Amino acid sequence: MMDRIAALGRTGLDVIASLGRACQFLAGVVGGVPKPSVGFPLLVKQLYAVGVLSLAIVVVSGLFIGMVLGLQGYTILSDFGSEAAIGQMIALTLVRELAPVVAALLFAGRAGSALTAEIGLMKATEQLSSMEMMGVDPLRRVIAPRFWAGFISLPVLAMIFAVVGVWGGMLVGVEWLGVYEGSYWGNMQASVDFVDDVLNGLIKSVVFGFVCAWIAVYQGYDCVPTSAGISSATTKTVVYSSLAVLGLDFVLTAVMFGNF
Amino acid sequence: MAQRTTEIIVGLFIIAGLAALLFLALQVSGLSPKAAGATYKLHANFNDIGGLAPRGRISMAGVTVGTIESITLDRETFQARVTMSIHKDVDNIPADSAAVIRTSGILGEQYIDISIGGDLESLKEGDTFYSTQSAMNLERMISNFASGR
Amino acid sequence: MASSAYISLNDVVFSRSGRRIFDGVSLDIPKGRITAIMGPSGTGKTTLLRLIGGQLRPDSGQVVVAGREVPKLKRKELYLLREKMGMLFQSGALFTDLSVYENVAFPLRVHTRLPEDMIRDIVLMKLEAVGLRGARKLMPSELSGGMTRRVALARSIALDPELIMYDEPFAGQDPIAMGVLVKLIRDLNSSMGLTSVLVSHDVPESLSICHYACIIADGKVIGEGTPDELRAHPSERVQQFLKGQPDGPVPFHYPNNDAASDFGIRGSGA
Repeated sequence: MMDRIAALGRTGLDVIASLGRACQFLAGVVGGVPKPSVGFPLLVKQLYAVGVLSLAIVVVSGLFIGMVLGLQGYTILSDFGSEAAIGQMIALTLVRELAPVVAALLFAGRAGSALTAEIGLMKATEQLSSMEMMGVDPLRRVIAPRFWAGFISLPVLAMIFAVVGVWGGMLVGVEWLGVYEGSYWGNMQASVDFVDDVLNGLIKSVVFGFVCAWIAVYQGYDCVPTSAGISSATTKTVVYSSLAVLGLDFVLTAVMFGNF
Repeated sequence: MAQRTTEIIVGLFIIAGLAALLFLALQVSGLSPKAAGATYKLHANFNDIGGLAPRGRISMAGVTVGTIESITLDRETFQARVTMSIHKDVDNIPADSAAVIRTSGILGEQYIDISIGGDLESLKEGDTFYSTQSAMNLERMISNFASGR
Repeated sequence: MASSAYISLNDVVFSRSGRRIFDGVSLDIPKGRITAIMGPSGTGKTTLLRLIGGQLRPDSGQVVVAGREVPKLKRKELYLLREKMGMLFQSGALFTDLSVYENVAFPLRVHTRLPEDMIRDIVLMKLEAVGLRGARKLMPSELSGGMTRRVALARSIALDPELIMYDEPFAGQDPIAMGVLVKLIRDLNSSMGLTSVLVSHDVPESLSICHYACIIADGKVIGEGTPDELRAHPSERVQQFLKGQPDGPVPFHYPNNDAASDFGIRGSGA
């Protein structure tokens, strides 16, 4: 019995120690700003790998989610005779919630896990060690560009997601279900506020980008350098990122949109 | 892949993001680049403003002519005093016009509609609407209906 | 030992996960010579290289490299010291996203401000020294295991270091590749005046090229000296290791119950 409690305590301490390591790690990543001539090309390369290559999944998902919102929304709103409000329903749902959150979840699954696996593999094949032995700080050279790339990419992806979703909703609502195009856009413009809705959604995606990028690079850096270790780290990235995004979404929504 | 090509593609990616933001700003949230300065203030007192809120719409014949600036409670008359910003080029509102609170649709948000009077004089900066009509209160309507009035 | 010690370890104690990996290890590595560090698997030979390189700190004891105490160095000084060291990792550890040329050029680009044509000359010279100048445009995934190690070797000598450490360089190599590596290690040591530290459990190859060897087991140095001295070493443990005898001071059987009870044999017994 005491063994179980001790084991539980040890696990708790392990988690706390891991969190502490993660914060030290973050300080090392964020603190070391490299020379622009060196750092910028690395950043660009990672932006491509992390951001541009995630565009496909973000655009397709955005499109389908926008279209589904159109379909479902139309069905529900027509019960109230308020089909014309579909534009504002789709836009508000996307801009405030779905674009930041779903883009973050997709990002964690695609780009986050890829980052973790890549860094973990570099650790397992001793590339990070050999870099250290050559007097190059791997945090600055390998990890930091990937972190910043994730941090910058996610808001961009979320914005694109929202736009594609709104357009998808328009495809379904206006072209297919016959809602008047003027009211689709008109009602939307009347109820979506730039500062309260669009900017808040953008802030959310910036926060999510920070957290997802941090978790992804940390799990790769901290993993056990075996193939089992890398696979476990990749899973952890996806799980922890998803939970963090959903939890933070609740907190941010309460702060931004609640009326306290 | 060549470094230059990568840079160009990443640049396009960022531009796409900014364009999306711009689209969201203009097309989705209707942010208008019009100069905000060209307005003048009018006031109106209501018994019940219902669900009216600052930045609400003010329309005349269905055309948006201004926004609600602020809503305060007048402590002597216990009425709501609404301050409105009307576009400067709508400067010929007859002095006996009424400000009416209307709802767009059944569930829609409320706005102020200016019902035109016949006076030759126009409302000027700082004037107050003479007659107003408060928001329709659903419970009062139902009780009126039920008691047969 | 004739030459002075380039590296000395004095009474180094190091534990990890509760296990004492080094329990008071003292050894000197002479300058300009090839020293082999040998021992059974898992005795912490790679850990020793990490202690020398400053990636790990000992619990107690001193690690002195080129007159500087490594654990006490500040980050910047440590990085400067590392510029004088080259390390060849067991797997080569080439950067998978860079070509062979770029891998060898990496330390030059990071630590020097040399113009591109000078870098090109140096990279090609180093690749020539390991016999792979023609492979410079290949990617690491296209190389065989032996070639990977040779490229990694070229990379580790790119900055003309004073010390090279080899972590299990002979592991899993075919005879030709082995011969190539042995030749390279020997030639580099004599032509560049390097101090070479070779960590391996491959006895014949290591003893054939080293000038001095140490055998570490159970966290202590159990024998050291020139190859001839070691071959004549009185310790049974050393002899078992050098000759590759399956049974001796390191027993064949893992500690177990007596055979009769495990196999359920009754009767008059063995």
